[in-house]
Amino acid sequence: MRLIAALFAAALAPGLVAASFAAPVEAAEFRWAATADAATLDPHAQNTATVLGFLNNVYEGLVRRGRDMALESALAERWEALEGGAGWRFHLRKGVTFHDGAAFDAEDVLFSHARAASKQSDVASWFAQVRAVEAPDPYTVDFLTTAPSPIFPDSIANFMIMDKGWAEANGAALPDRETGNFATLNANGTGAFRVTLREPGLQTVLEPFDKWWGTPEHNITRAIHKPIKNPATALASLISGAVDFIEPAPIQDIERLRATDGVQVIEGVEARTIFFGFRQNRERLLDGGANIFKDVRVREAVNHAINVEAIVTVILRGAAQPVSQLIDPASRGYSHARAARPAFDLDKAKALIAEAGASGAAFTLACPNDRYIADAAVCQAVVGMLAQAGLAPRLVTLPAAQYFAALRERQFDMYLLGWSADTFDAEHPIRFLAATPDAEKKLGSWNFGGFSNDRVDALLPLIQTELDEAARQAMLDEVAAILQDEAAYVPLYVQPLLWAARANIALSQRADNFFILRWVTVN
Amino acid sequence: MLAFILRRLAQSALVLLAVGLIAFAMFRFVGDPIDAMLGQERTVEDIARLRAALGLDRSFVEQYLRFLGGALQGEFGVSWRLGRPVGRLLAERAPATLELALVSGVLAVGLGIGLGVYTALRRGGWLAGAIMTGSLIGVSLPTFLIGILLIWVFSVELGWLPSFGRGETVDLGFWTTGFLTVSGLKALILPSITLGLYQMTLIMRLVRAEMLEVLRADYIRFARARGLRERSIHFRHALKNTLAPVITVTGLQIGAIVAFAIITETVFQWPGVGLLFINAVQAVDIPVMAAYLMLIAALFVAINLIVDILYVMIDPRLRADRAGAAR
Repeated sequence: MRLIAALFAAALAPGLVAASFAAPVEAAEFRWAATADAATLDPHAQNTATVLGFLNNVYEGLVRRGRDMALESALAERWEALEGGAGWRFHLRKGVTFHDGAAFDAEDVLFSHARAASKQSDVASWFAQVRAVEAPDPYTVDFLTTAPSPIFPDSIANFMIMDKGWAEANGAALPDRETGNFATLNANGTGAFRVTLREPGLQTVLEPFDKWWGTPEHNITRAIHKPIKNPATALASLISGAVDFIEPAPIQDIERLRATDGVQVIEGVEARTIFFGFRQNRERLLDGGANIFKDVRVREAVNHAINVEAIVTVILRGAAQPVSQLIDPASRGYSHARAARPAFDLDKAKALIAEAGASGAAFTLACPNDRYIADAAVCQAVVGMLAQAGLAPRLVTLPAAQYFAALRERQFDMYLLGWSADTFDAEHPIRFLAATPDAEKKLGSWNFGGFSNDRVDALLPLIQTELDEAARQAMLDEVAAILQDEAAYVPLYVQPLLWAARANIALSQRADNFFILRWVTVN
Repeated sequence: MLAFILRRLAQSALVLLAVGLIAFAMFRFVGDPIDAMLGQERTVEDIARLRAALGLDRSFVEQYLRFLGGALQGEFGVSWRLGRPVGRLLAERAPATLELALVSGVLAVGLGIGLGVYTALRRGGWLAGAIMTGSLIGVSLPTFLIGILLIWVFSVELGWLPSFGRGETVDLGFWTTGFLTVSGLKALILPSITLGLYQMTLIMRLVRAEMLEVLRADYIRFARARGLRERSIHFRHALKNTLAPVITVTGLQIGAIVAFAIITETVFQWPGVGLLFINAVQAVDIPVMAAYLMLIAALFVAINLIVDILYVMIDPRLRADRAGAAR
């Protein structure tokens, strides 16, 4: 008996020691869970919010975004437009070091640009207008553009700087999306946190970088990021205190979470608009009938038939915000002149549909079912609303992996899409969603409906190069008016952003759904 | 015996080839990996380049042959989602799944046989009745619901056990184990119950039914007439004869435990191969999906083979029949 007791004690002892060591550290240890892990640590290999959001804690750009999404200085202390719109000059911060101790200077910026603008990169589109990059001295870098580019600094807020020596020494001079390389699993940035342990798909441990150039606002000594795929498990882990923060918080549990002790819900809206598009450049619908969506009256009728207020209140628990454009009101270039959505008016919708001779027309309405918050439920509701207005939509819902492939092959008559403008500027959705598709010019790559308007196509290059804010806004207002009058798309709402944390955590939410660790305080 | 094993091996290889072919024919319906790999600013050109680099522009037969060619050399390709060799990924994740499967297997077999015998011998007793009623929960509730229920009770309400993950693990170089730390052992409890419950009730009900059948047989009656002790009758004579079908079912269930670990691993964020597979499906990570499916198929085939051999060894009549047929 004594032997068994001794064995038990021996087995338990390491655990007890570990526990007593862990206790004092836990005060400022922060454990956070997200649905997915970043697929790579390479900041130029995948242009997705999951990857760039996570890496924002480790790598830094020349500029960065603050709590209100406004640009602020990061590795560049200040920047200015070059004479005559020839490009932009960035004055680099001195005394910055990478996590491995190497010094940061213009050489790293030139290298990172070459890497990020390469064919293997997924972020090359940020540099489409860059003609050359020059470094007049080790702490000044000029980005020369083919035409004046007012939004260039906004475009590169997520352009992260890598150390030239480190990348080259480790055979990661170029990103590798297909097979991965050293930079896929390791990181060496200048950011406030450095990666001390990386187990892809399991956990990533971050610790504050003691030689960071900025003044830390956080009190974290160690942060552990773990993916938890199942929302119910994530929720249970938060309530039981196994994690301090989860993202996203499942929308169906929001009311209950608000009422749970020890837990807080952080609500905002994400800079992502949700809208419907139409396959409008074909003569026929997919099943062979005449294409009703060529007729602007039918598209307008859809605008009037959908009760966005009801969708927001009932399905999205009041957390979303109705919207009239393809960007959210907080973004640059939003058209205040066209802030109002077409009113919900069933009679008007019916009249327009009857007038267009589209009553009873059958078509496919397609939606993803795992991409946006409550996407399938929203579509289900819209099918009912359109049926009331006299149309006969057939709902198709697909997982994202199949949905976007089918969308590219134009397999639907009407489809749901979400868009977040990486530049937080109204030009972005025009370039990708409203311009006439043109693979050569890299325009309209998400314009699956084939909307085409000569005036919009003519205004886009002018908007891209206009340096005068007022003149630029006038053109953006004109495009917004055209898109609304033509009902090119039917904007619905800005998607809610729902996070949940333990009550003792103070943090800031940013509209691009990036989780910024240096704004977290554990109380 | 040798000819028998060789024949079964040849059949097994055919099964594996067929599984691979069917899997590759299905992958195109899972979706397109491109959207999980590229950001929204990708161009038409980017898509075409990536498709060509991944070999997606070829027919599924061609993709399958390429996969087979690599697999024969022990090379399963690189995960498209994680950019790491699939063989390494599977080797890293396998210990988690196998430890979980082992614990739930032991739980299922041990408790299943024990409770099965008990309920057969104490038929009509209130405890046996309660166990039988309780076992209905095990067969009728879906795994994920049991998992969530357990998490809610033991992690959220009572706060005794962790709600997800594997706890602290010890790296032995070739194997990471959760058996050597307290948090690792605690983390095993809920997932192994969730995973093993169905198998446990199945084995228990099977043992009970078989046992009741055997206890009615003539030789048991003769044994009683000879005045043998009850314990000896129950365990040496009755139980031993119920075990042949139990072994078949248990063997197949071991495969099922590993395969169905997908759901349990998703609920508990258990870092095993099942979770790896689910994530691969969502991102249409074909190299990982293909390797996992082949691995599971190989596992089932191997278990079946072992069960067949065990069967021959346990039941002398099969050997006699075979010998008789050969003559």
